[in-house]
Amino acid sequence: MMTQTKPSEKTIRLLQSIAFASAMLAFVLCILISVNYFQVKSSDPLNSPVMKSMIEKFKNSPDDEQLKSEIRELDLLARKAFFTNQWQIRTGGYLLLFSVLVVVICLKTIELITAKIPVVPGEATNNFWDLRKINRQWVAYSGIFLVVVSLLFAFLTHNELGKTLDLAAKSTGSNADSTKVAANNDISLAQADSLAQNDSTLTGMQDSSASAPILDGYPTQQEINNNFAAFRGPGSNGIVFQHGFPTNWDGKSGKNIKWKTAIPLTGYNSPVVWNDKIFLSGANATKREVYCFDLNSGKILWQTLVDKIPGTSATAPKVNGETGFAAPTLTTDGRRVYAIFANGDLIALDFEGKKVWAKNLGLPKNHYGHSSSLVMYRDLLLVQYDQSGNTNVLALAAKSGEQVWKTSRDVKISWASPILVNTGSQTELMLVAEPFVISYNPATGKELWRFNCISGEVGPSLAYADGVVFSVNDYSKLAAVQVGGTPKLLWESDEYLSDIPSPVATSKYVFLPTSYGMMICYDAKTGEKYWEKDFGTPTYASPMLVDGNIWQLDKKGIMHIFKSDKTYTSVSEPALGEGSVCTPAFVGGKLIIRGDKNLYCIGK
Amino acid sequence: MKKALALIFVVFLFSVQFLNSYGIQRFPKPEFESGYVQPETLMPDPRSEMLAILDIAVLIISLSVVSWLVIKKRNRNAVFWMSLFALAYFGFYREGCICSIGSIQNITLALFDKSYLIPLSAIIFFIAPLVYTLFFGRTFCAAVCPFGAIQDLIAFSPQKLGSRINAVLGVIPYVYLGLAILYAATGTDFIICRYDPFVGIWRLDASFGMFVFGGLLLVTGIFIARPYCRFLCPYGVLLNWVSRFSRKHITITPSNCIQCRLCENSCPYDAIDMPVTTKNPDNKRTMGRKLIFITFLIPILMLAGGWAGSRLHEPLAGVNAKVRLAKQILNPVTGKDQTETFEIQAFKSQGKQQKQVFAEASEVLHKFYIGSWILGGFIGLVFGGLIAGWLITKHRTDYTPNKGTCFSCVRCVDYCPVKIP
Repeated sequence: MMTQTKPSEKTIRLLQSIAFASAMLAFVLCILISVNYFQVKSSDPLNSPVMKSMIEKFKNSPDDEQLKSEIRELDLLARKAFFTNQWQIRTGGYLLLFSVLVVVICLKTIELITAKIPVVPGEATNNFWDLRKINRQWVAYSGIFLVVVSLLFAFLTHNELGKTLDLAAKSTGSNADSTKVAANNDISLAQADSLAQNDSTLTGMQDSSASAPILDGYPTQQEINNNFAAFRGPGSNGIVFQHGFPTNWDGKSGKNIKWKTAIPLTGYNSPVVWNDKIFLSGANATKREVYCFDLNSGKILWQTLVDKIPGTSATAPKVNGETGFAAPTLTTDGRRVYAIFANGDLIALDFEGKKVWAKNLGLPKNHYGHSSSLVMYRDLLLVQYDQSGNTNVLALAAKSGEQVWKTSRDVKISWASPILVNTGSQTELMLVAEPFVISYNPATGKELWRFNCISGEVGPSLAYADGVVFSVNDYSKLAAVQVGGTPKLLWESDEYLSDIPSPVATSKYVFLPTSYGMMICYDAKTGEKYWEKDFGTPTYASPMLVDGNIWQLDKKGIMHIFKSDKTYTSVSEPALGEGSVCTPAFVGGKLIIRGDKNLYCIGK
Repeated sequence: MKKALALIFVVFLFSVQFLNSYGIQRFPKPEFESGYVQPETLMPDPRSEMLAILDIAVLIISLSVVSWLVIKKRNRNAVFWMSLFALAYFGFYREGCICSIGSIQNITLALFDKSYLIPLSAIIFFIAPLVYTLFFGRTFCAAVCPFGAIQDLIAFSPQKLGSRINAVLGVIPYVYLGLAILYAATGTDFIICRYDPFVGIWRLDASFGMFVFGGLLLVTGIFIARPYCRFLCPYGVLLNWVSRFSRKHITITPSNCIQCRLCENSCPYDAIDMPVTTKNPDNKRTMGRKLIFITFLIPILMLAGGWAGSRLHEPLAGVNAKVRLAKQILNPVTGKDQTETFEIQAFKSQGKQQKQVFAEASEVLHKFYIGSWILGGFIGLVFGGLIAGWLITKHRTDYTPNKGTCFSCVRCVDYCPVKIP
């Protein structure tokens, strides 16, 4: 005889069964979703080795249409797989939630329909008043614990941030006031400030004053802009963000010549300046020296012989007369000064002239002589070392000289110098050598983009302004390339070309000097030629954009100062009275010009 | 039942994994060479005013209905169904926003930042539950708050925690409230919203950490009823204070308590005060001395708390965007691939001066210094107040809901054999 169960018990069993089945379903769904999720998470289809190798292959043969379509198909396949996985996860998720909901509903229903029988609890074991006393004690203990933990945490993390910020705000403020360009500059004041400030974070905020709490490291962009730390100024781009420089002087009569000092050894590097110290180098086949001049008096504060560097070749490198043994311009970060020579000797000296570190990069295989200048990014010393059969760019730790990264370059030998510019979204290290302009991440050395636009033995460095980089070389062409992930040729011209001096650009114009003394002005965006001017004297120094004017020093020492404008308007043509092939330095209202034999300081 | 609970536990853990799947990075946009321009990312339109008024209306009606069900009808089942409605409307439909808990921050920011235009709904969502609580106890917690509703729903096997654990964990909401006010007042962040444990469930989209937090709270909630409400909710602090003065709070018995003790263990939230039948072992003189001691102790605790808090102002300010940016400029940090942080990149794109960033960060830091003193002082006061509270005891003869901590869920009512026909 069957026993009749109560309807409520039946219902409860049914609900329990449904809950169990739903829970099992949820469990299975969880496993499936998890597997799917981990699949999606672990796979990186766009960076798969196959895709990478295909992209690499495509870089070398950009016209291969079949390869292009294969890459696209693979890309589409990867995307489809990804979104299908996403759909599966989402749909599975909804199913999972539904099954969890069923479990909850069933259990809740059981709870609601099951009669609860209240029970009388046993007598409390603790006395009421004792419990309250214990509670008081526990609250007190937890309070003490909280205070101790707070103080411990405060002790461990306290870092005088407030004082640091106040100091930083003050020091940055004083620098920022002087970082201005003239209003008539066609890189406008706002634009230049913006450029400077945009760059400012790239170098961090570390004050060079003795009182600042953050001494070692690297200078702010404001500090860099207020000094002249590299070939062609900040970022080696030919633009100076200071103003108030004299436009008239005369070397013969001494007008506006503050001082002139003989330079011991020859060199074609340009002066760099930090605060009141001027640095340059000189060398011959057997001797290499770094010099420090006092900005105010012109006295040689120290001169350091660069020798006894491990790995230095006993044989002097072969160089031609126009390059010499000390062509690369030095650079400084306000803490140390760095110099490289034609034999590959690289040295870091402190501001007293004492060696901090030195190394030899290997005797360059270079038929004219190594001439790429140094540039700094944050606390990295960047060296373009494009030698015959071994072209690369490397970053060394400024403090120790240790190699931080090194990137091999599939280009030909070159003599140009790197530029370091902020393209709006990032700072890029741009190098030029046949056949590419290549941009790198200066922090990692990772290539960002490249553009095939140049050939020959590249001597002139790049110029950059407003998203466009300009490359030029003799027997090649002047190319304006819009930078970015997919660089684009805006225009090109082969009417006038340069083999030594570098161009300089603004957002509107690009000024191209030639080594035989021509100056040509183009529209930066369209390539329309606005004017050409024959100075009649060869030019090796590169032009600089300062105070809204272009300053071009020719080989006879005449500075051609003219408006940065679409029509040629001469401002003045002061003469140094001595020939020069070096690019002048502009700092604090003074020009520092390295003549063939003497160093000049020009100022009001 | 135990098997089913174990299954739920597993299901919740796996749910955490599933929900996290939406937090992964998007697939990168394809690059087109055909000249196709990617469409601009558009911000969704703000919620229309009419719908905001609908939210307010739903809130007021819900509070009124729940209060009536709690105080007049004393009907647990009806309250449960109302809580499901709150879960559906304020939780899944409104996706947890706006909520009364988060509105603390809107109110605070409006008080400290004149440029902040606070929405009317934020004001009403802050005030209305407090007003209703003043009259009827925490009926908002009972069945209007979606946080409470979801936790109440899964409290299948609540365990008693013991008074000392309740006492110690009960301090956390005060600290959380203080921090939330500090961060909102300094314009730093709405931390209640940022660390909202259930918003990921309402929206099916959140970070991994939020899902883990929410999932753990729900799993904990099976055994420890309403863990968020009891040991985290900052709005609960305010409701607790106000509810102590409520005019008509729910009672366990509709008439006189017959001391049957059937309701003694009925509350899953340990919110029933038992009768005080024994005499305080301390005589009046000792009690007086203790009260004088605590009176002097409270200012000392406030000072100690304030001082300890002030020592923490820099770490506390570390999450402020301006301070973080300034710190990053001072000590540049880079990602795994040596790239700059998003903050640095954004700063660069603004063309703002470093000087300004440092000055702003310094100002924020000063605000945090003052705020940390006040926060520490407040926490000191809370500790003093709690110790004093455990010292002072009102004589009781009946089993009564604790007006401060009772969520007016009406569970205990069903256990009382005294009924009014």
